[in-house]
Amino acid sequence: MLLLQNTRIASENSPKLLEGDVLIVEGKIQEIGTNLPVPKGARVIDARGRVLMPAMFDAHVHFRAPGFENKETITTGSEAAINGGVTGVVMMPNTRPALDSASAVATVLENAKHRSRIPVYTSGCVTKNREGKELAEIEGMHRLGVIMLTDDGDTTRDPAVLFRAMQYATEFGMFFASHCEVPELAGPRALNEGVMSYRLGIKGSPACAEEIIIDRDIRLAHATGAHVHIQHVSSKLGMETIRWWKSRGDVKVTAEVAPHHLLFTDEHIGDYDTNYKMNPPLRTQADCDALLEGLKEGVFDLIATDHAPHTPFEKAQDFISAPNGITGLDTALVSLYHFFVEPGKFGWDLVVKRYSAEPRRLMGLPVPTIEVGQPAECVLFDTEAETTFTKEFMKSKSQNTPFIDQTLKGRVDLVILGTEILLEREQLVELSEK
Amino acid sequence: MARKDLLDIASLHREEIEFLLDQSTSFKKLFTHSVKKIPALEGKSVLMLFYEASTRTHSSFEVAAKRLSAEVTNFDVAHSSITKGESVRETIETLQAMRTDYIVVRHSHPGLPGMIARQTTASVINAGDGAHEHPTQALLDAFTIKEKFPDPRGKRVLIIGDILHSRVARSTSTLLQKLGIEVAYLGPGSLVPKYAPESIRRFTDYEAAMAWAPDVVYLLRVQMERQDVQFFPSVREYHRVYGITTARLAEIRDRGLYIMHPGPVNRGVELCDAVMDYERSLITNQVENGISIRMAVLDWLTPGGEFPKQEAYTARQQASSTVIMP
Repeated sequence: MLLLQNTRIASENSPKLLEGDVLIVEGKIQEIGTNLPVPKGARVIDARGRVLMPAMFDAHVHFRAPGFENKETITTGSEAAINGGVTGVVMMPNTRPALDSASAVATVLENAKHRSRIPVYTSGCVTKNREGKELAEIEGMHRLGVIMLTDDGDTTRDPAVLFRAMQYATEFGMFFASHCEVPELAGPRALNEGVMSYRLGIKGSPACAEEIIIDRDIRLAHATGAHVHIQHVSSKLGMETIRWWKSRGDVKVTAEVAPHHLLFTDEHIGDYDTNYKMNPPLRTQADCDALLEGLKEGVFDLIATDHAPHTPFEKAQDFISAPNGITGLDTALVSLYHFFVEPGKFGWDLVVKRYSAEPRRLMGLPVPTIEVGQPAECVLFDTEAETTFTKEFMKSKSQNTPFIDQTLKGRVDLVILGTEILLEREQLVELSEK
Repeated sequence: MARKDLLDIASLHREEIEFLLDQSTSFKKLFTHSVKKIPALEGKSVLMLFYEASTRTHSSFEVAAKRLSAEVTNFDVAHSSITKGESVRETIETLQAMRTDYIVVRHSHPGLPGMIARQTTASVINAGDGAHEHPTQALLDAFTIKEKFPDPRGKRVLIIGDILHSRVARSTSTLLQKLGIEVAYLGPGSLVPKYAPESIRRFTDYEAAMAWAPDVVYLLRVQMERQDVQFFPSVREYHRVYGITTARLAEIRDRGLYIMHPGPVNRGVELCDAVMDYERSLITNQVENGISIRMAVLDWLTPGGEFPKQEAYTARQQASSTVIMP
């Protein structure tokens, strides 16, 4: 029994926070109200105005196992998720071996059962070894619960292959998540083509390399009746392409945006800082502004981090040699608060809708809410405290993020999943009485 | 004004540039003496770390270092363990352990000399990093122009060719502008980026560029080896549209324009044979001035000083910029 007193409750439906006490009994929300009586034997935490919200869900993470356990494992990745207030994730299949068969998927899911305190879902490859040539054995993966198909890390290069895959897999109720990039046009470098690519002397990747495939894959979905989910959109025209297709209303398209594409521009790369190197690349302030507009309008159904860990050694190489990717699970919720909610650019309702509810709907999962009778799956967030993202604070095995050693406003204090308290910050202990 | 490294032109101050050009003048005077060597860097060691093939820049640095009495060691990249998969970072650690005083580095990856500089006490001189910078080339170009135009302010330099892949275009244009010289780019649309700095005029038409009335025509080497994909249809078409043909040379001669080129030249591509005998060609002056300017640079830099911790990630973090509120 846990009684959280004086919380402010967030939901996806209203920017207003509801003040009150919340009583959790046996993993369920038993009662919500003001000045709730303290039941015998209940642990009481005076939340003192902290925000209580449904826990987050990240539909785009790289846990690197099997194959790259030096970068991340299912254990470290899922602990990073909990650290950031996330209680469910969808792994991308670009592991080694790639998750392109029932046996590969089964191994990961079995590992996750023992090595993660939160549910870990996985996507499956569209094509064998993500090579874009032969179709993976899709139905076999579906039988294990896979519903998202993607060759993430790469575009399924041959449109005819994707076209056939869509015709085939849609019959099983599966959907496609597209990493959008014409490789010949994008070139090998994750850097936006523009003022910075000239300054740094690196051949840039023009935004149209991404926008062309955004449009192509939505067209393929339109033609086949498939559902396509556009991953990590980074450009203004990319957002507008999705907006246009959504306005037609005759194609099943969803889309995601990553916090780093909302927050950073290519200028942040400065003197070749590899923490800002990822694919799709950071673009311009005009793109950031458009992405934020798209998020507020609902062009983007969800926020996903594209959590992509790489070892310190790999990222300490020069900009060309360093791999693409930025971690996000430890930092996402706090950064969304610091840069958007706190300055009033959007409310907690958007965070809950786009980073908790919609990603679960995409995956066909039940959506937790802070309502009587609902299972407890929630986060208590201190809006007055700060978080310093030291190496020790991070639970991810890698720290390739520009937030390293930075201090941001906001702190995830408590993460509850059913009967389990997954995380409790020390600072909370002093507020609780037995 | 002491500096450990010379990595780029962008961060050089005007006074530093003036100083280096003046020093270069003094060093050049030595070349007329029968003994050209001075003991300025006696007992110091210079390591040549060239990951990319280079004859001119490499030998120019070597001659410059030897004229200053430094010991020169060539780190033989082709036969080293680098080809056995040793990473650049491990090489840096090896070099740091050797306690060399100066490292002259050329690499195809932009920013790599800066990375080395942050992890060694040696003075690092960027001898060309990808399409990023080639600061000593820019300095020798400016020096060569100043020999002809002692007050170069308001003079115009037209840089012709593959701007996209050119570190020379970037460094030289930046430096010339710092000296008050106007710069324009001319080349095929696919090789002259539209997002180059606005202060540089962009031409894709030869006649229009000549109508801008340049004082110096600076030809870039067409880097055939960098063109993993085709940026123009053929060498023949390039020469006809953007090259200095015999007819165009006649016009250049009539106007009394200077011609420069960082070398090595592609005859029949960016220029015709006759350009090599043109009386106002400064191409050999550039080579000669390369030595005195590199002597000035070696003499100016100060090895040692504060040295970042040898731990890789710390070094990287120190280079990280602070997250700025968007």
